[in-house]
Amino acid sequence: MRRRGPWLDLLAAAAFVALLAALPAVLRAAYGQASVSYLALGIRAIGLAVLALSWDLVARTGQLSLAHAAFYGAGAYTAAVLLKLTGAPLWLGIPLAGAVAAVLALGLGAATLRLYGIYFAIATLAFAEVLKTVVKSLPFAIAGGSVGTNLPPLFRPEFVAGAMERWEVAFLRNRGYFLVYLGLLALAIVVSVLVQRSRLRHAFTAVRTNEFVAGVMGVNPARTKLAAFVISSAVVGMLGAIEAHRFGSVNPDATFSVHTTVLALVTPIFGGLYTTVGPILAALVLSGVEETLKRTLSDGYLVAYGVVLVVSILFMPRGLVGLFRGLARRGRARARAEATRPEPVGGADA
Amino acid sequence: MDLTLLPQALVSGVLAAGLYALVAVGLALAIGVIGIVNFAHGEFFMVGAFLAYQLFVSFGFDPLLSILFVAPVLFLIGAALYASTIRFVLKAPELNQMLLTFGIGIVLQNLALMIWGGDPRSIGGVPYRAMGLQVGDVSVGLVPLGSFAISVLLVAGLYVVLARTPLGRAMRAVAQNRVGAGLVGLEVNRVYLVAFGLSALLAGIGGVMIAVIQSPTPTVGLAYTLKAFAIVVLAGLGNVRGIVSAAIVVALAESLVATLVPNGDSLRNAVFFALILGTLVYRSWRRT
Repeated sequence: MRRRGPWLDLLAAAAFVALLAALPAVLRAAYGQASVSYLALGIRAIGLAVLALSWDLVARTGQLSLAHAAFYGAGAYTAAVLLKLTGAPLWLGIPLAGAVAAVLALGLGAATLRLYGIYFAIATLAFAEVLKTVVKSLPFAIAGGSVGTNLPPLFRPEFVAGAMERWEVAFLRNRGYFLVYLGLLALAIVVSVLVQRSRLRHAFTAVRTNEFVAGVMGVNPARTKLAAFVISSAVVGMLGAIEAHRFGSVNPDATFSVHTTVLALVTPIFGGLYTTVGPILAALVLSGVEETLKRTLSDGYLVAYGVVLVVSILFMPRGLVGLFRGLARRGRARARAEATRPEPVGGADA
Repeated sequence: MDLTLLPQALVSGVLAAGLYALVAVGLALAIGVIGIVNFAHGEFFMVGAFLAYQLFVSFGFDPLLSILFVAPVLFLIGAALYASTIRFVLKAPELNQMLLTFGIGIVLQNLALMIWGGDPRSIGGVPYRAMGLQVGDVSVGLVPLGSFAISVLLVAGLYVVLARTPLGRAMRAVAQNRVGAGLVGLEVNRVYLVAFGLSALLAGIGGVMIAVIQSPTPTVGLAYTLKAFAIVVLAGLGNVRGIVSAAIVVALAESLVATLVPNGDSLRNAVFFALILGTLVYRSWRRT
């Protein structure tokens, strides 16, 4: 495989993010009032992409983490509790949420990252359940028990004496969130690209393939796995805090829902594990699918998610990215075959 | 803390352990014989519960009687899932296997959600549901007692099958050495199919019993998957006798905390998962 530095990918990512940043203005010009709901769909797609990219980071070290809902919830509750206790500026809650999630991940990771496969997966899932119960039993005045508590939105555009219509207020609010989500996506992409296009990739791959050999070759498996786990959790924690503001409330069952963990792992698998493009692509496709299904099926639209997961494991073990790469390779092979047709058969194999 | 409740807590714990052991033993069969880590195991349990519920509502089938119907259906579901999906990932990395079964679990759970909705469904009107025995301070419901007895019978039955019958011998052979078993003429794939079907069947019967004891929801499966995993992990893989004692430990811990600690009922789940987490962490540190 060709080797190249991260710069080309970072440039492409910057172009992609810049293009997305222009989206709200385009949508507003094109759809007017309807742009509000398109923007909301865009926000969901970006949130899903962030979740997927961060889960993929842990998967690259060969660990199946089922604790993403825990770090998401920890982030959301950090923002909520901070406001409740201190009334600190809203924005402070987001980096702090990342920090709290990272510290939790450090603790959990240090204790469990020596476990393999199924044992690690079960331990992380158990951790998520324990954390949910702990949050439920926090003092009511702080976290609202099993009911949860409210948070103000990050953006408060004002009605200016009828000068702004209701949908314009909603649009401004959504545009604000869109840009914040986009910032987080940019961060997640940069992390993912740097890991994929630097020497770190080899460390990650080595640990995933054979931890023992990796250790012999001078890679510290424990530290590599822990680093991936902590960075991933920090990103998810910040996502949790931002979404808590957007939804306006937190409550243990919804905020720590296993659903979050499921989405975090289905998306990168569908897109293509261990890549940067795959999870983003899958997030765009799946949020479109989800939106359509939600409109047609009231209950159980997640059936489709399960089917997507099963089918992609069975038929596209490398996800959308692998599928496209396979098609491209076949296309190139055919082109080569065409070009070399007059020559003996052996020529096409070279 | 109220120590007069202790005998009751002990009895309830042991009775609950029967059901846990039944579900866990099925999971252990899938892991031990086929080597497949089945995250959808609890969903078989849930499907069993809802089938029993539906048979009761539609035809007035007694839940005990419906076991005769639910068990073969679950066997078929398990066998069909094995033949159509699991079979193809046996050589895939563990991650893919787990994700595949996770996906199957999501499908089953949400199909149930589509069919039965999210509200708990309970089988009221079974005459023996409210019956029970009173021995001193301890009251024992007839249904938990009966489900304990059935569980014990089934777990013991599985043990006998594994130890004494040709099928059991085949399963043990395949579990020990798949290639060798194939070489001496065993149809490895067929043994796997039967083992996976049996695993689903055992979980399904557990589900029928929970349908009478509690009011199941479509999401009840995951909780039992986790509980079964916890027990299997506590026991060590492939250890049937170990599973029974591990189930008793876990169920007792749950029951003791729920009855003896003030406000303990809400901690029930936390105790369970803290126990898993603790065991796993302990094991990971002891190994080196």
